[in-house]
Amino acid sequence: MKLTLAIMIGVAAVFCQAGQVFAHHSFSAEYDVNKVLVLKGVITKVEWTNPHVRFYVDVKDDKGVVTNWDLELMSLNTLTRAGWNKYDLKVGENVTVTAYLAVDGSKRANARGNITLADGRQVMAGDAGRTNQETQR
Amino acid sequence: MKTHVISSLAGAVALAVLLLPLTSSPVVAQGRGGRAAGPPAGPAPRLPNGTPDFSGVLMGGGGVSVRALKPGDTLTLLPEAKKLQDSRLAKDDPEANCLPTGVPRMNPYPWRMVQSIDGKYIFILFEGNIHSYRQIFLDGRKHLSDPDPTWYGHSIGHWEGDTLVVDTVGFNDKFWFGASGLPHTTKLHTVERFTRTDASTMSWDITIDDPGAYAKPFTVQTKARYEAGWELMEYICQENETSVEHIRGLANSPSANGAAPQ
Repeated sequence: MKLTLAIMIGVAAVFCQAGQVFAHHSFSAEYDVNKVLVLKGVITKVEWTNPHVRFYVDVKDDKGVVTNWDLELMSLNTLTRAGWNKYDLKVGENVTVTAYLAVDGSKRANARGNITLADGRQVMAGDAGRTNQETQR
Repeated sequence: MKTHVISSLAGAVALAVLLLPLTSSPVVAQGRGGRAAGPPAGPAPRLPNGTPDFSGVLMGGGGVSVRALKPGDTLTLLPEAKKLQDSRLAKDDPEANCLPTGVPRMNPYPWRMVQSIDGKYIFILFEGNIHSYRQIFLDGRKHLSDPDPTWYGHSIGHWEGDTLVVDTVGFNDKFWFGASGLPHTTKLHTVERFTRTDASTMSWDITIDDPGAYAKPFTVQTKARYEAGWELMEYICQENETSVEHIRGLANSPSANGAAPQ
């Protein structure tokens, strides 16, 4: 756990140099840092592209209504340098995501919190990396 | 003629890149951009002719902010410029719209400095925001007398000891100095001083002189870091850009400029 945290902080430091934003646009103009969601569902689509990797998740509420959420990650390049690859998020797999809600009320969120993958691995998306073990699997 | 110039430029860039291994420290060809292996160690390297070797992949540096001001300097907008900044919407930030960042704003992606062996050119290749480049002429030429305004301007450079001094004019007024919408005019004149202080560090001071937007010139002091083993990756901003239509609010407001959560 300490190793994971150390790597997360280290990679975040690389991509968060003084005076820089994390993405090619302002974060807080698109997402509300005070509205954090925990979304649990099934991945329906993955867009492994720039300027942001996006994945879509069907989330069922208490009444059984399914909503498809559009979840934004960092750029393909940033995630690659942090150890991610195009096989990490798989269509059809369950995922639990901590994310920041879009300010315009759309079903979009920024998935920069924890992501728990189908096999139980917890990874930080966006600003941070993952353990060596996870990277080398 | 224009085609010829473009192909010549492309050729020059290609040649410079091909020759790069002869003039720079060895890098690990990974093809995936490399990992956060950290900065190279040791003193600043030199080319065989004694010139400082600037080649390599860097992160950070550049930008205009109050916190980076040279001690004693002040950033004072003229009233019209302030009015313009306060009217700008976050969704209109050129960088968010996949347009160039101009000078000296940088994006959160790596960039590479490339020196031609004959010492007449330096190119800055940007991974983001639009896969573009700056070209700096070190062959003794003067500025164009009446340049067309462009995003990166017309840059000429010379060495003062181990410092590369780059003088640029001929900017358009389209790019922003940052996400807060800090403006400038076509009167903008920048003087950049690049010094590789050790193997891992590029000191990059930028003097902003724009009598159309600022009360007086000021200098910001920034640093970029060399990344060992990194390569530039393809980054096509327009490929899947879906954010802009969801951006809300003024550019110059805390809600638009809040930091991303960490």
